[in-house]
Amino acid sequence: MSERKSIEVSSLGKDFGAVRALDALDLTVRAGEFFGFLGPNGAGKTTTVQILATLLRPSRGAARVAGHDVVSDSVAVRRAIGIVFQETTLDRDLTVLENLRFASRLWNIPGRIARPRIEHLLHHFNLYERRNFPVRTLSGGMRRAVDIARGLLHQPQVLFLDEPTAGLDPRARRSLWELIQGVRREADMTIFLTTHYVEEAEPCDRVAVLDHGRLVALGTPRELKDTARVATLEAVFLARTGHTLALAEA
Amino acid sequence: MRAVYGIVVRELMRFVRQRGRFLSSIGRPFVWLIFAGAGFATVFTSAQGLDYRQYMAPGLLGMVVMFGALLASLSTVTDRDAGVLRMVLVAPIHHGTVALGKALGATVLGTLQAIIVATILLPLVRLHPGLRALGLALCAVMLSSLAIGALGLMLAATIRSIENFAGVMNFVIFPMLFLSGALYPVRNLGPALRLVTYVNPVTYGVDLLKHALLAPWAGTPFGGELPVGLDCAALGVWSVLGLLIATPLLARESGVTRVALKRA
Repeated sequence: MSERKSIEVSSLGKDFGAVRALDALDLTVRAGEFFGFLGPNGAGKTTTVQILATLLRPSRGAARVAGHDVVSDSVAVRRAIGIVFQETTLDRDLTVLENLRFASRLWNIPGRIARPRIEHLLHHFNLYERRNFPVRTLSGGMRRAVDIARGLLHQPQVLFLDEPTAGLDPRARRSLWELIQGVRREADMTIFLTTHYVEEAEPCDRVAVLDHGRLVALGTPRELKDTARVATLEAVFLARTGHTLALAEA
Repeated sequence: MRAVYGIVVRELMRFVRQRGRFLSSIGRPFVWLIFAGAGFATVFTSAQGLDYRQYMAPGLLGMVVMFGALLASLSTVTDRDAGVLRMVLVAPIHHGTVALGKALGATVLGTLQAIIVATILLPLVRLHPGLRALGLALCAVMLSSLAIGALGLMLAATIRSIENFAGVMNFVIFPMLFLSGALYPVRNLGPALRLVTYVNPVTYGVDLLKHALLAPWAGTPFGGELPVGLDCAALGVWSVLGLLIATPLLARESGVTRVALKRA
């Protein structure tokens, strides 16, 4: 793991009208790091991801992803990142293959490069047999796998996974995690994972806990557990988000 | 430009798969030809040997373009609803490129539908335009598809739900149709309504089509009313304006979070 910075966030804030969704967030994620971003629903996780993915403009502060500013250099940021949203972004009426082809064109990947890459991803994600099926006929787990394949198509430096397993049954969650771990081993990319399934963050290199738009804990899972003198990340999570006045620690 | 191509190809694929939409877009003008044509023909008097159904033909093609291009822009609302728009907005392309892709998709769909309808409609009403006239008609169809597609995109980009879109479209479609010269000449309308016809992009498309298809009746009250250059310029202005306005509106999306927080 290098010391290059993949994501740099300083004093980032976002308001929606009178509601402060994100407040003075400072964060650095190293290149190649597997970073977990935890917090209860409404903590500001998705808002952060949307700002980092250039879909939302921050109200205050600045953020750089892969060395590019998310506001002034948004296209360069988008070129460097892959993102898997909470809800599927696939066209349900098109087949798996057509969806991936559509994405490869959006990401300006020439056909001769896209074709073998799509084939590889389809095999890797056990989707090859279903490549000509409309997406609407696939199970939730398979759809999510297609979403992830779509996010990896342009071989991004940073992959954002925003609650990738939300709404999936335990079996689908497990097989999806095997896929994500496989991808991690294969490519040296930064993964920024948001989740409220605390146990999913156990394998992360570092974990940040967000509550009410503020960072309330940051460290390796081991450090967080040692500091809070508890055995599981879940206990850390409960301790940190149960007390909204808890101070951020780095 | 690969992205624009990708967006257009997807629009086409979706259109071809929606058989109901495809057939109704082809059938609709003939329903108007039969019912509206039969009614208006009885009160239509032309000394120049022009049958009302012939007079209607350019208007019907304009109607095909209008419905085709506006409905194509509907896909922006469904894309937002289904999440596909997010994937498009997070691609490494400028949002103007997305708007252009969508508008060109509407152009291709509007043009395609107009060509299919024209091959049946023109012989049916015994209009036999020459090659030059057909060329001008094709230009008219393409330009007006682009302008109306851009206008539809502008509307669709501001609308969040399909129900809302259907309501707005009904409110927009009928004035646009009736105040376009598609069914009757608009030069004798009162000043207020005439003003509306000059803002309406369909007016210029239909007028260009009249220049092309009703050339033998040029100079009569039934031929094209405005100069060809003005028609083209107005459609061009509408296209550019629509795209410029739609671009920032397309990206103005923060979805669930924003709505949830605003309610909180």
